[in-house]
Amino acid sequence: MSELARLAGFAALASLIACAGSVDTPIWQRPPPPIADSPVVTPGSLHRFTLDNGLSLIILEDHRLPRVSLGISLRRGAASVEPDRAGLAGFTAELMKRGAGDRDSLELASAIDALGSVLSVRANWDSITAQIWGLTRDLDSMLGILADVVLRPRFDDDEAIRARGELLAALERAIDDPHYLERRFASVALYSGLRAGLPLSGSPETVAALDSAAARDFHARMFVPNNAILFASGDLDAGELLDRVGAAFGAWLAGEIPDAGPPLPAPVPTARRILIVDRPDLTQTRITLAHEGIARTDPNRVAASLLNEAIGGSGFSSRLMQRVRAEAGLTYGVSSRFSLRRDGGTFVVATFTRVAEVRRVIDLLLAELARARREPPAGSELEEMRALEVGQFALGIETSDAVLDSLVNLNIYGLPEDSLDTYRSRIRAVTDADVERLALRLLHPDRAAIVLVGPAEALTPQLNDLGPIEVVHP
Amino acid sequence: MRAHRWFVLVTIAFVALLRAGEALANPAIDDSALRTRQTKLDNGLMVLMLEDHTTPVVAFQIWVRVGSSDEARVTGLAHLFEHMMFKGSKNIPPEKHSQIIQSRGGRTNAYTTVDVTVYTTEVPSGVLPLVIALEAERLANLDISEETLASEREVVLEERRLRTEDQPGGRAREALYALTFQALPYRWPVIGWRSDIESTTIEDCRNFFSTFYVPNNIVIAIVGDFDGDAALEQIRESFSDLAPAAEIPRTRTREPRQSGVRRAQVHFDVRAPVLATAWHTPPAGHPDAEALDVVGEILSGGRSSRVYRRLIHEEQIALSAHSVNSEFAGAGIFGAYASVRPDASIDRVEASFLEEIARLRDEPVTAAELDKAKRKIEVSMIHQLTTNAALAARIGYDVTILGKIRPLEDRLAAIQAVDADDVRRVARTYLTDAGRNVVHVVPPPASTEPQRGGS
Repeated sequence: MSELARLAGFAALASLIACAGSVDTPIWQRPPPPIADSPVVTPGSLHRFTLDNGLSLIILEDHRLPRVSLGISLRRGAASVEPDRAGLAGFTAELMKRGAGDRDSLELASAIDALGSVLSVRANWDSITAQIWGLTRDLDSMLGILADVVLRPRFDDDEAIRARGELLAALERAIDDPHYLERRFASVALYSGLRAGLPLSGSPETVAALDSAAARDFHARMFVPNNAILFASGDLDAGELLDRVGAAFGAWLAGEIPDAGPPLPAPVPTARRILIVDRPDLTQTRITLAHEGIARTDPNRVAASLLNEAIGGSGFSSRLMQRVRAEAGLTYGVSSRFSLRRDGGTFVVATFTRVAEVRRVIDLLLAELARARREPPAGSELEEMRALEVGQFALGIETSDAVLDSLVNLNIYGLPEDSLDTYRSRIRAVTDADVERLALRLLHPDRAAIVLVGPAEALTPQLNDLGPIEVVHP
Repeated sequence: MRAHRWFVLVTIAFVALLRAGEALANPAIDDSALRTRQTKLDNGLMVLMLEDHTTPVVAFQIWVRVGSSDEARVTGLAHLFEHMMFKGSKNIPPEKHSQIIQSRGGRTNAYTTVDVTVYTTEVPSGVLPLVIALEAERLANLDISEETLASEREVVLEERRLRTEDQPGGRAREALYALTFQALPYRWPVIGWRSDIESTTIEDCRNFFSTFYVPNNIVIAIVGDFDGDAALEQIRESFSDLAPAAEIPRTRTREPRQSGVRRAQVHFDVRAPVLATAWHTPPAGHPDAEALDVVGEILSGGRSSRVYRRLIHEEQIALSAHSVNSEFAGAGIFGAYASVRPDASIDRVEASFLEEIARLRDEPVTAAELDKAKRKIEVSMIHQLTTNAALAARIGYDVTILGKIRPLEDRLAAIQAVDADDVRRVARTYLTDAGRNVVHVVPPPASTEPQRGGS
């Protein structure tokens, strides 16, 4: 055996021993395997076009199943509506489903159901989206329905009266739902008097004043192609679809882009306030802490998402989940989130517990937020959050529909087209110092609004030294 | 998430998981589930593997054939125990299981139904060996303590308040099942009765574990981007030591035939009362299932359906209305549910809904309605095939409950074969006047007079 061969043999033996050593270490104690940054979309499957009237097209081909999803999003939504007309965007969206083109409400529903399709038209704060799902073989019919719904909604008077009655009844039913009350009054606590202080679907007073004329005007003002994105994913050919979209939407006339509405105020609130939404029958109290957050376009949003995951987020390993659920058994779930809007945003921590333990839980939440400022997530804790975010991203782009949703959302907010491609490297680039700086900027337990949904009589005595209390009866 | 971990249902209605559709004129759909590799280890553990390398993620599910209907004496034990599976083992401290998976970029959760307990994990490719090791560890070395049980009991009680006690829909469902099933163990809620949750002991948990968490009662389903040979070898190495049980106890009770309407009322502070109605239908795997699915679609599938048109659009007495057949291993239930408008009468909603049921018994449905219902079922089925987790759930359910993977083609053919006579026959057979169970969730009498809510 040559010297070289002996050396090679020795090296092989050494590496065998090293391997054997690592086999003894349980796999959960070994460093995780690197997650390969696979491409977000299959090369050649994503297509972008712009029609002469300014309509943007984003098409993602995926031929695995004979299905398609097709839709149009506007880069404006309910935030463009004045406070005294709150609910108009959702009302208009609802009416678009109730008759379009040659079809009245029943005929339109029958046409959609006959394809086995589902049509959704919904208004969010910063966008309005009409979308239809179905089978590839029905693509032409689906495109025809979408074009009717977006371009030629009928806004029949009798349907407007029906829809308004349903929306009003739904607002009353919503009072039965503690989760709705919690969100609704968190908005009141922060944005009273502004559009954002009323529910997305409006209040009974504002909805009662809506009619078909208001919806028709709103539709005419909002639906302009130069502020819209047509998106499609699934088993389709981008070139063919482009031709058909040109035929269906090419004559849509460009117009003035509506105002996006005022920015959300900050800071809010400026001092602690406690709002109790009295529901004497409940055995469990919903607890929300809220104050201003950051905007969807804030360059710090990626770092903020890491901070949020570490504090509460939506998983099991967050500080709050460990403290309030795993250690104390005081809740079934606790989460936190930055609600990102075009111009501003809200930070919310939400949980629930039995009535007797409400004060204890509030104190735990406030203490953890204070600790996050003092001892922000760093080092290995932050490293875990980076891995979590990168991994969740990989899981989140499993389907073409999900990828397309994200691409449309980026477009709505005018964010870079390659944001998904760069997301994982941006996550990895967040430093301990970034998070520390953000924790001080973004977390304010001392002045957060505290909103409780539960029996006021039992809650008030627990909170007397915490701040001024207001009780509302929904 | 579902029952266990985070905000998803401890749903009683695990429903007809992925059933549906027929191909009509559709080009053949590639049913990848038929390529599943099925391997049974010597100790009875069933391993289902389906490789799909399209996206670099993999879904791993453990299906334990035990649910709330297997509980004797202590209700809610299957679900509470599911929580305890995250509370530590010999080598893994409490809560660490989830945290390790998350720190590798994955997510994990679990849920319990009347028939099964399912542990679901999705991870980036390459993390699968860790998932297998962690699952083997907790099955072999689960180590739960009085302390962790005490705190988890409280967590489950919060879950019960959240989903059932403070929710009109939860109250309705609990009452409806207790009313409909008088003998079968489907009568109690998956999450259990409060007093049982409060008094569950560590011994209850340990006995439950050793009785039901045995390899011959478990199916593993893996779908996605992974190496089947390597995974199977690792599973053999790490799960083969688990000892099978000679016998797994099962309930022998049969539900006696119902002979008369049963009614129940739940008083709760609601503005919008809830109507929940149910009839007995056959268990999973019965040939009438497809016709019952079609009935559900004709009644309430889409805005052109009979019940939507009548209750919501024309009479304007309900805010939502829904009907669906749910299949369990030992029984089925056809449910009809409605949310009553605050300004309407629940009795009128019930009468209108029942008239629509009666019409199905008395008159044949039209060809157009039949086609529409079949098409909707088909499309929803195809939509459900888009993720690894959905595929794993389909094959896991099929093998656990039906004993084999049911080809999509068979499902399509069975749906396609349903005709108007079948619809009328199943309506007459199952949706009878004497077999009806009705629950009303309404405000207590004292509080109906003063002004409610609004303002």
